Amino acid sequence: MAAVSQGFKTDLLGAIPSLRAFAVSLTQNADKADDLVQETLVKAWDKHESFQPGTNLKAWLFTILRNEFYSQMRKRGREVQDSDGIMTARLAVHPAQHGQLDLKDFRGALEQLPEDQREAIILIGASGFSYEEAAEICGCAVGTIKSRVSRARTRLQEILKISGEDEYGPDAISTQVTGSPAS
Amino acid sequence: MKDMTKDIMAGAASKRRDGSGDALGPNSEIGRKLKQYYDELVSDDVPDRFSQLLSQLEQAEPALKKD
Repeated sequence: MAAVSQGFKTDLLGAIPSLRAFAVSLTQNADKADDLVQETLVKAWDKHESFQPGTNLKAWLFTILRNEFYSQMRKRGREVQDSDGIMTARLAVHPAQHGQLDLKDFRGALEQLPEDQREAIILIGASGFSYEEAAEICGCAVGTIKSRVSRARTRLQEILKISGEDEYGPDAISTQVTGSPAS
Repeated sequence: MKDMTKDIMAGAASKRRDGSGDALGPNSEIGRKLKQYYDELVSDDVPDRFSQLLSQLEQAEPALKKD
């Protein structure tokens, strides 16, 4: 077995913040997330030879982490999702005021999504992966990712009582970020 | 100046999201919260256990290639 290069180790270290963020998004639990990241690093180290230099290391690591997550869930008989689901269902989410959603409310809403939808919307909307990369990570078709993202977005809107995105559109918020629409 | 900022942001958003358009873009409340939620997680301090783990794995290697 070829030795692991210093470069690979450095790249692994650099990927840890993203891996932890993805792991928390999947598990909704900081301790379980860090255990998952640890497993991922050990697996990545063991099978470093199967990584092709020049390809997307982050996508490769996310794939390992995701596979590990689902294999653990199967072993545990999905107790993770079930217990969390019951807890979060009781969380009252208040309608957004003045177009400003509370991050805590958003987190609560995200927890209520089925994990396939949650991972899809995280990969596309937050981790910066393309639909093609996300499909590869999740081992499904691009169209499946698209429909999961779409369903996740609709579900989040329902939970957060956002009737449509129009009221939070360019006039309300993005003008602060992108400058006025007319400019 | 405003135009430039807008173009850069729009370019970055469309490149990153690969044609998902505005569905989760900066004009979307959900898109912005999603980024906020995730960026907060990414910026969390990494516990020492991970660098220690990699050092342990490294020491277990018979011969580490120095490159």
